[in-house]
Amino acid sequence: MANLLSVQQLDKSFGNRRVLHGVNFEVAAGHIVALVGPNGAGKSTIMKAVLGLIPTDGGHLTIDSQPVSITSHQALAHVGALIEYPGIYPFLTGKQHLELFADKENRDTNMTQIVEALGMTSYIDHKAKQYSLGMKQKLGIAQALVNHPKLVILDEPMNGLDPQAVKDLRDYIRKMADQGTSFLISSHILSELEKLADDVLILNHGKIVQQSSMGELVASGGTSYVITTADDASAKTALMAAGLQLVPAEKIMIRQQNEKTLNQVLQTLVNANIEITDVVKVQHDLEESFLDMVNTPTTKEDK
Amino acid sequence: MGTLIKQELYKLTHKKGTWIAIGIMVVLQIIPALVQKADSEFFQLSSLISNDYLGGGLYLFIMIASAASIIAMEFQYGTIKQLLYRQYYRSQVFISKLIVIFMQLVVLKVISTIMTFTLTALLFPSFDWDQKIEGSQTLLQLYFLGMGGNVLVTVFLLSVVILIATLLKTNAAAITSGFIGYFVSMAASSVLLLLINKWHWLRFNPFSMLMTSSQIISPDMSQATLMSTPLMITLTFVYTILFTFIAYFSFRKRSV
Repeated sequence: MANLLSVQQLDKSFGNRRVLHGVNFEVAAGHIVALVGPNGAGKSTIMKAVLGLIPTDGGHLTIDSQPVSITSHQALAHVGALIEYPGIYPFLTGKQHLELFADKENRDTNMTQIVEALGMTSYIDHKAKQYSLGMKQKLGIAQALVNHPKLVILDEPMNGLDPQAVKDLRDYIRKMADQGTSFLISSHILSELEKLADDVLILNHGKIVQQSSMGELVASGGTSYVITTADDASAKTALMAAGLQLVPAEKIMIRQQNEKTLNQVLQTLVNANIEITDVVKVQHDLEESFLDMVNTPTTKEDK
Repeated sequence: MGTLIKQELYKLTHKKGTWIAIGIMVVLQIIPALVQKADSEFFQLSSLISNDYLGGGLYLFIMIASAASIIAMEFQYGTIKQLLYRQYYRSQVFISKLIVIFMQLVVLKVISTIMTFTLTALLFPSFDWDQKIEGSQTLLQLYFLGMGGNVLVTVFLLSVVILIATLLKTNAAAITSGFIGYFVSMAASSVLLLLINKWHWLRFNPFSMLMTSSQIISPDMSQATLMSTPLMITLTFVYTILFTFIAYFSFRKRSV
């Protein structure tokens, strides 16, 4: 699929502090891309650069093949964004905020659709100064999505949202992506991103240390089994004697080598007359991959 | 650009303060008019009318507050990012704000002027607008001449307020600077004139331009300001444009 957003060799420094080092990545049309990284890794800086809000020191940014910079904003006509925290005019109602930014074409339909999708109907006519943190967050997201943009950039969109609102938002983002909208989303709630994103970018110290599909990332971490027995010490001895490699841990943990691994383990334990009390399958998830990646002293180069 | 101006007008007209300020201005015109009607010795009628029944002067302070907030509120409410990430150039965003400020200034001036003529026609129907005040000029001519000078100085002062609001990003700082700057300059104008008399080059300093409106009405002031009225008008324009450009360059370069 064609790339909607392309970021090439992006560099950015604040004074003497270099924040981004030759960042490269692409966002395909209709894809949801998760941008994850520890605090201060440069996620918001990348998003601001893509939106032409800050000058960059080098690199090339394009949206739909049109260049973007602090002085070149034409390509941003079909982009919606929420960066850091929602900007709210306290003297306007939620509906007036949407009226202010909604395009003329299908204005009422678009507004009604997003208000209903995010469950904002009951308070959309109230002044925004009465809104809670979560209500403001939803309004910020609604402003980003109301015009059905081609590209949406959301920085920590789940901040302050209750579980129902998180689900509503996830469903709506998925629906828009299925209709062709691309998303670049950062969040610290990795379990939510894992449910939502097609691709993952892991950013650390201003560099992309991993760029892959969510499926590849999870699969690359592999599957392990944690086994509990009536006599773990004897079980470990029996398994090692059978030539099976244990993950160094207090519990009995075995990484799956092939599809027969579990069968071999169970057979060995049964043959050794050791009572098996529990078997748990552990999938390496985004959170673990992320922690592995950012805690590795020498990080992988960009793909 | 049209969309940006509409959006700025939408924000301005949906602020309660915009309408309350107009209401207060009109009421503060009506009260002195009624007082004068009850006691014709209370004010000098021609002076009261020339000054838009006092309340009309409030427009300057409304405009200082409005000019400061049209820029600074975007930073304070965190709305600046969504204002700037769209397809428009920063210059268009900035100019749309200047245009809306100017539109508000014109509307306030028109309202206060209509009120002045209406109150005069209703309460003092025999008032003679054609009376000669200074030399050959009629009161009506002087009224509009004063209005022109007043608008010019207000626009100059607003350029300073917009500059401060852009640099400091806070409403309060810009409004306070505007008010204090205005009052201090007014209070210190005699001191300034003394200083100009001593060091002639001081006459070109920006604070002198706050006296442009007075000199337009009383051209004799040129002996004290050491500048001709056309020169003062030109310099007031030049400073206004200069401050506005500095404000724009600061706005354009700012990372948000």
